[in-house]
Amino acid sequence: MRRGGWLQRLTPFDCKLVVVLAVIVLLSFLLLLRRGVGTRVLVTSGDRTLFVADLSVDRRVELNGPLGTTVLQIADGGVRILSSPCSRKICIGMGEARHPGDLLACVPNRLVVRIEGADAVARERGYDFLSR
Amino acid sequence: MTSSAVDPAALELELVRRRVFLALFIALAVALHTFEVLLPNPLPWFRIGLANILALTALFLYGQRALWIVSLTRILVGSLLLGNLFSPAFLLSLSGGLSATLLMSVAYRFCRPRIGPVGVSVLGALGHAGGQLLIAWLLIVRHPSIWMMLPFFLLFSLISGMVNGLAADYLLDALFKHPAFARLRSMGEKEAI
Repeated sequence: MRRGGWLQRLTPFDCKLVVVLAVIVLLSFLLLLRRGVGTRVLVTSGDRTLFVADLSVDRRVELNGPLGTTVLQIADGGVRILSSPCSRKICIGMGEARHPGDLLACVPNRLVVRIEGADAVARERGYDFLSR
Repeated sequence: MTSSAVDPAALELELVRRRVFLALFIALAVALHTFEVLLPNPLPWFRIGLANILALTALFLYGQRALWIVSLTRILVGSLLLGNLFSPAFLLSLSGGLSATLLMSVAYRFCRPRIGPVGVSVLGALGHAGGQLLIAWLLIVRHPSIWMMLPFFLLFSLISGMVNGLAADYLLDALFKHPAFARLRSMGEKEAI
């Protein structure tokens, strides 16, 4: 009869299995959460694309929305909003966006700043015709 | 099998007792399945899978057929009680349950003398998470970012699988002492119902 600690309830095979599965789970963390590097920044307002730029070039951009001018800074492969005419400044508080899929949004000024990765750029070049 | 020393009446009693136990396992699994929905959840899809404790116990006491009976009946009757039969939540539950049961019975079939309840349970829990996410991706959210949830799912189910496996092991220890499973204990080998 097995008594004592709960670890003794695992057969040696169980122990090996749990260790192997734990390693697989950790690997899945590394594989899936390793995020790509953003290659370009896209600013849209509603359906219109206002601005597209490469993330590798440092610059400062002024964008006009319905409320006024929002200032965007691209530096070190990341984007942040420096100033905005909106009342609550949530967009400035969102900090920096640098990975593909990251988003900065200023809802009052109708601006959405999106980061795209190399795969999005390649996908766009790969098709010459798209029908939905 | 039946040696001349075994009294046929005693054998009959034992078989009836074992059938009653299997019915109790199914009933308890349905109850736990329903109870778990009442527990507060940090995230919608994270479930401990307490009902699997009973499926595991049935597997180690009766064999693979009982595992399938307990799992499938639990999902069908549990969903009927919760009122979500054939809804998306039911489909997720069914796909998770099917892949978990498949993995568990394959592991039991091929690694039996060496694998214990904890090993089978962990495999089942991971299979549950994987199968559920696969169906969620195919039927509900057609977006690759759903796979970002997979590592968290797997980590959670690894832990809950170990907890469930240990619970099943304690339960098995207690049940082996019951007269219904006396012959199982003396034979040291499982026999289908």
